[in-house]
Amino acid sequence: MSSDSSRSSDATNGHTETAEPLLAFADALLASSQREPDRTAGKVQQYVTFFLRDDEIGIPILQCCEIVRALAITRVPEAPDHVRGVLNLRGRVLPAVDTRRCLGYETAPPTSRSRLLVVEVAGRSFALMVDRVARILKLSAADITAPPEGARVRAAIGVARDGAATIYLTDAERILLQASAAEAPTQKE
Amino acid sequence: MEELFASLVRDFADETAPLAQEVGGLLLKLEEVWATGGDPKPLLRAIRGGLHTIKGNSAMMGLSPIEGVAHALEDLCSQVETSSDSARAMRAQMLIEGCDLLGALIRAALAGKVDAASAEAFVQRAREAMDVGRSPRETPAPIPVRGETAVSAPASAVDAYEGRGMARIADRDVDELLELAGETIVGQTELARVHGRLARGQFEASDIALMDQLLTELGRTSREMRHKLLRVRLAPIATLFRRFGRFLRDLARERGQAIDLCIEGGETAVDRAIISRLYEPLVHIVRNAVAHGIESADERAAKGKPAKAQILLSARLREGRVQVCVADDGRGLDMRAIAAKANAQGTDTSKLSERDIQRLIFQAGFSTAPSVSNLAGRGVGLDVVASVVQGLGGSIDVRGASGRGTVFVLDLPVTVSLQKALIFGVDSETFAVPAGFVLDTMASREKNMQAINRVLLVSWRGDFVRAVDAGRLLGCQGLARAWARPYAIVLQAGNKRGALLVDWLSGVQEIVVKPLDETLATCRMVAGATVLAQGRVIPILDSVEVVRRTNVALLPESSQEAKVEASYDVF
Repeated sequence: MSSDSSRSSDATNGHTETAEPLLAFADALLASSQREPDRTAGKVQQYVTFFLRDDEIGIPILQCCEIVRALAITRVPEAPDHVRGVLNLRGRVLPAVDTRRCLGYETAPPTSRSRLLVVEVAGRSFALMVDRVARILKLSAADITAPPEGARVRAAIGVARDGAATIYLTDAERILLQASAAEAPTQKE
Repeated sequence: MEELFASLVRDFADETAPLAQEVGGLLLKLEEVWATGGDPKPLLRAIRGGLHTIKGNSAMMGLSPIEGVAHALEDLCSQVETSSDSARAMRAQMLIEGCDLLGALIRAALAGKVDAASAEAFVQRAREAMDVGRSPRETPAPIPVRGETAVSAPASAVDAYEGRGMARIADRDVDELLELAGETIVGQTELARVHGRLARGQFEASDIALMDQLLTELGRTSREMRHKLLRVRLAPIATLFRRFGRFLRDLARERGQAIDLCIEGGETAVDRAIISRLYEPLVHIVRNAVAHGIESADERAAKGKPAKAQILLSARLREGRVQVCVADDGRGLDMRAIAAKANAQGTDTSKLSERDIQRLIFQAGFSTAPSVSNLAGRGVGLDVVASVVQGLGGSIDVRGASGRGTVFVLDLPVTVSLQKALIFGVDSETFAVPAGFVLDTMASREKNMQAINRVLLVSWRGDFVRAVDAGRLLGCQGLARAWARPYAIVLQAGNKRGALLVDWLSGVQEIVVKPLDETLATCRMVAGATVLAQGRVIPILDSVEVVRRTNVALLPESSQEAKVEASYDVF
């Protein structure tokens, strides 16, 4: 028994090839909501800032994918202390990182202002749990100074000031690294 | 002998059923070619070719009812070319029906009971239809309405033959895979040699470097093998999209609308597992588009839109994922109706953006159709669609432009890793364990359990298996109470067994395995995660590690738990 499988080309299917107008329309609708590429040229960088207790902390906006309200978090047996579990972000399973724990704050239960800051670093995505999201800041190199010795926020690589407010600047990778460094000695069995 | 015949019938069905489906698609195309005045000859030739093969195959199998239907269809085909317009429409309908019947008969052949009566009835009607044009009266019989026909009307061609999940693979690919398998065996042999030296204590300094190299190579070849095997599982998404040609045609007829299906990017290769799971959600979305989106002919005319509505199914690769769109050129999303419905359900929409309001349609129990038509309002909402898509590791979104149309966008992975797993619960938590490692599940009773030197044993088929309280092993909140868990799961990994004592079991189901991020590399007992219905994530256990732990676990020496156990007085 054999059949002629070469007949399965597209020309023989029950549909028309006049899709252009609808396709163009669909594309236009899609394009209208694609994320705009960051066009901030040169030295000005944008930061998303959030609060842990009373400290305002900023990470580069380019690392941030989105901000979501509370999602159910599933505990994973034997997860490191700084990972509360995993969550489902539209079908993707991401670790939920306890940012407070990473940076040496005592942990706290979520409130109505708590948010998940979904970040992407080197192809990996995770959700940073923060007390609240504050604002988006545009900073040029001149606005940023080195963090003072023994700065309250351990992972800070720079400090910016806005009036009376102090913003500690870091990035998602450092926040995670900080946690691993803190937990490393206790991880040996 | 019977077994041989059964396997022949399976081969027959595997080959013939897709062919019947293909002929069905060609027939739809034919209708269109007639409508637009194109040349139907090449199509008719292809259709007759397909029917001829079906006829030949069924004759070889001695399935004469199928052969008869295929033969009658062939005859109809040759006649249809020269028919007058009115007779042609009727015969075309006949052809499509006959093709459905072929599909149904082939499926029936698989089950071993071909309904000869329905085949005969059809052949009879086909003969009558063929005579119509010749008779002097020239009064075509009315187009038979579905359900009235003598043929036990098959649901439709859409209810397609799924086959045995067979994949076609090129000889060259098989050779490449064999070569890779050969390489891994060579690597393993080399490693065994080094291992032998180690075991005898004749370790050479260069062995570390050698092992390093061997392990790297083994890693590379096995990854490559996996990659190649994954490719075998891909199929063009057109196989899915094409099924909608027939579906939309029937739907449009039912509603007296004219709807065109456009397909774009049908060649996009996607995992078969995804393709087969995507059909239901897409049916729902397409139904929705027709029920809510596409206006009546009058309404379209008043708006200056072409009378024939369009539905687009498109697929394209984007950043390593597949983006599937279902678009229509209907009236778009009715924002006011959505907001009103949400308000009625107690959602405050005043602070929501337009996009967020649009996304409300994916919430449970949401339908803006004012009445329950046979299209929408079937009790299955877009929330179910969203959860199926999420279960596949994808996401769904919708965008509408008022008066111009709606686009549903599904963002999906190209491949998925599927596994059968047993779902169980301990305390308030739910876990999955791969079914391949599950030897048995049973009710665990005190009389089946014993503790000897802090080792908990459960008797299973005259044997003792080391058991552990799953709550304690997995660190669940709640009091460990091994003796009081109602069920035991007996696992086997390698030559070791272990039993997990759990609170409830919920059967084996196929799950999509998602790897965990490396931040969770410390979780040795967890192999991945999966998303269940309602978007809930649960961990998938690593059976090998769980069995290992079970075999070293001891009951606590003295604790609240020990007291609880003591109260059972088992000795």
